[in-house]
Amino acid sequence: MSAYPSNLWSIPLLVVIPIIVAVVVNFIYNRSRLIKIISIVSAVCLALIASLSSYGYHWFTGQPALRPETLTFTFDPGFPAWRLALEFYFGPLQQVMIFVMSLILIFVVAVASSGLTKRQGPYMSMIFLLFASAAIIIMVNDLYHLWIAVEIGSLVVAGVVVGSGTSVSHKAALKYTFFSALSGAGLAIALALILGLTGYSNISDAIRYLQSVNLGEMSIILYVAFAFFVLSWIYAGGLAPIHPLKSEVYGASFPHGTAMLQTQSKLMLVAIGIVMLQIFGMLPFVREVMLAISIITMMLGVVMALIQTDFRWILAYLIVSHSGLVTVGISLGTTEGLVGGIFQAVNDVIYMTVLLLCCEALYYFGGKTSTRNSLGLAKRAPWLGMAVILGTMAASGIPPFNGFQSELILIQASLKAGLPEVAAVILMVSVTTFIALFRAVYRLFLKPPETSEPVAEVKVPRSLYIGLWVFVALTLIIGVYPNIVVSFITPVAQAVSIPWYL
Amino acid sequence: MIEVTIQLLGFIAAAALVVIGIAGMLFLDNLIKKIISFTLLSDGVNLLLVALGYVEGGIVPILIPGMSVSEFAARAALVFPVGIVLTNIVIGVSTTAILVALAIMLYRRYGTLKASKVLKGERR
Amino acid sequence: MVSIDTLFDKVKKWISSFVEGNGYTNMMTGYMTGELQSLVFALILASFFRIFSIPLGMVLLIAAIAGTLYFAPLIVTLEKENSNDLNRVLYWVVIYFAIIIAVTLWGG
Repeated sequence: MSAYPSNLWSIPLLVVIPIIVAVVVNFIYNRSRLIKIISIVSAVCLALIASLSSYGYHWFTGQPALRPETLTFTFDPGFPAWRLALEFYFGPLQQVMIFVMSLILIFVVAVASSGLTKRQGPYMSMIFLLFASAAIIIMVNDLYHLWIAVEIGSLVVAGVVVGSGTSVSHKAALKYTFFSALSGAGLAIALALILGLTGYSNISDAIRYLQSVNLGEMSIILYVAFAFFVLSWIYAGGLAPIHPLKSEVYGASFPHGTAMLQTQSKLMLVAIGIVMLQIFGMLPFVREVMLAISIITMMLGVVMALIQTDFRWILAYLIVSHSGLVTVGISLGTTEGLVGGIFQAVNDVIYMTVLLLCCEALYYFGGKTSTRNSLGLAKRAPWLGMAVILGTMAASGIPPFNGFQSELILIQASLKAGLPEVAAVILMVSVTTFIALFRAVYRLFLKPPETSEPVAEVKVPRSLYIGLWVFVALTLIIGVYPNIVVSFITPVAQAVSIPWYL
Repeated sequence: MIEVTIQLLGFIAAAALVVIGIAGMLFLDNLIKKIISFTLLSDGVNLLLVALGYVEGGIVPILIPGMSVSEFAARAALVFPVGIVLTNIVIGVSTTAILVALAIMLYRRYGTLKASKVLKGERR
Repeated sequence: MVSIDTLFDKVKKWISSFVEGNGYTNMMTGYMTGELQSLVFALILASFFRIFSIPLGMVLLIAAIAGTLYFAPLIVTLEKENSNDLNRVLYWVVIYFAIIIAVTLWGG
């Protein structure tokens, strides 16, 4: 490796474009047409950049290199082991995750700009900052940027939730921000401990140091760092003890905002999970702890979804529950598990976006999302009814949709690791997802309305329907040809996987 | 016997601040007091980071002309914790601002700052 | 004439005391499914400990069966503990954190 590798052009663009757009739309907050054009064009640009870019690094500053033979540091820039401290990496995994996220961003901004009437500029800027923070977390290869992006992301989540403007959303945002304070402090402590232990902020460097050195008594520090790291992991993804607050955040914001929030949160889970697996994966009991948290999250989320009586809250709890599916694969740490977990994350954000856009459409049909009403919407809007049923099937892992493919890989991975209980729990989650969703779908869409009063013609924005069908098509295409996505994930999974040792 | 150094005292004070902060967030009912507890927690983290970067007889980590690189490497305080502390202060301020703003909004609506009233669990 | 409560009548009265109104409302289906799910999940979680030692798993499984029968209906407790009250979630996070530190330090 040369001392000064050239930087990749696309990495700064993927971070800077959303930030600039956020500043600009905030300035022109009352010109909704201009905001719509700028947001959609820049979202399309981001998708293009992510799909066209080659792979490579972008670095910010250097650090003393470690001589492996003597374990001493040197400032000699000609030394071949020269590593870059603060760096971003754009590879196949990053490409597929950022591409899917920017695709969702396009339709989220389109739907938001046709639905919102006031406060459009600040709200849109929050959505773009959410994208920027998630993109940083996906690409980052140093603990410093990771921590900053997690902090920015959590504050922006609060902003998106407050944007929906009800007192429920203010309360949800306040509670969530309290935890962002707690977990941000935890992540800073974890970062400080790893930095103190290894002397590196670069993740690859820290991992290489930990693999080459016998820590002895000092490994206790690594355990404490792991515990603090887990705190921010469960916070970022809304895993088990924080799931009531995270689902409140999902349920209290607009459905299109939730689509973006869940995308950010699931991709963050993958990125932080891989970092944790690499740094702490070899320690005993670490993967068991991660696995236990994931399983508890899956079950609690899905059981709580069963007893909700509002379509929004059912979706909110299901999103949390399916985050557990993502983390099960990552916690297993085997190649199949990682492929399944990351693939599940990509599939999950797609089919949940379908369901959330259907939920958004309900707002145009009178805004009733409680399952106590029977609306008979399938007759008034047959295409919407069809989309919601297809989305339900994808979410509950029915072939030939994408949810089936990733859940199959996850079940195989857990059986291969000698953990049939995990496979049973995954099956239970997928069946219960169907029950929980179909209760709401039946009441809202299929059951004939109780009153037969004449209904006014409803105009649903075209962008919502286009988005709905694009994502339904994606669930089918990925379901039939899973290799489109899996081929991007497999090399990364092989590189970071650790065999399950039981 | 562990030698009592400034660094060790710093670590102990940081741990105390973090514990006080978490206890305050957990047991104090007033929203503003909870926010103050959070700032204590954040200060504890900052102190931990500063203590981590402390070097006995260290110098400011700026390479002054005339100083040899090896001397600089031996004596300079760790530069990274300083950067993290600066960032943490900025993040702490923005988090506090958002928390206080939301607390004000909720106070206007409910007329109280009691967390057990404003942020109590609700059935949906 | 004094009516004689057979065992069947007693059981029927006891079971129907759980149900108010129709036994098959939209809410009821959700709660029933949730109860069964959480019961099975408790058993699976207990049997999980076989990966550490098989006798431990067996003992915990029996304990879980006894516990779920004793504490039934589980779903009500679960719903209460999953409340979005800030203080309650904070409490659970601190407990969780303590467990994670204890387990990993003990294991290492």
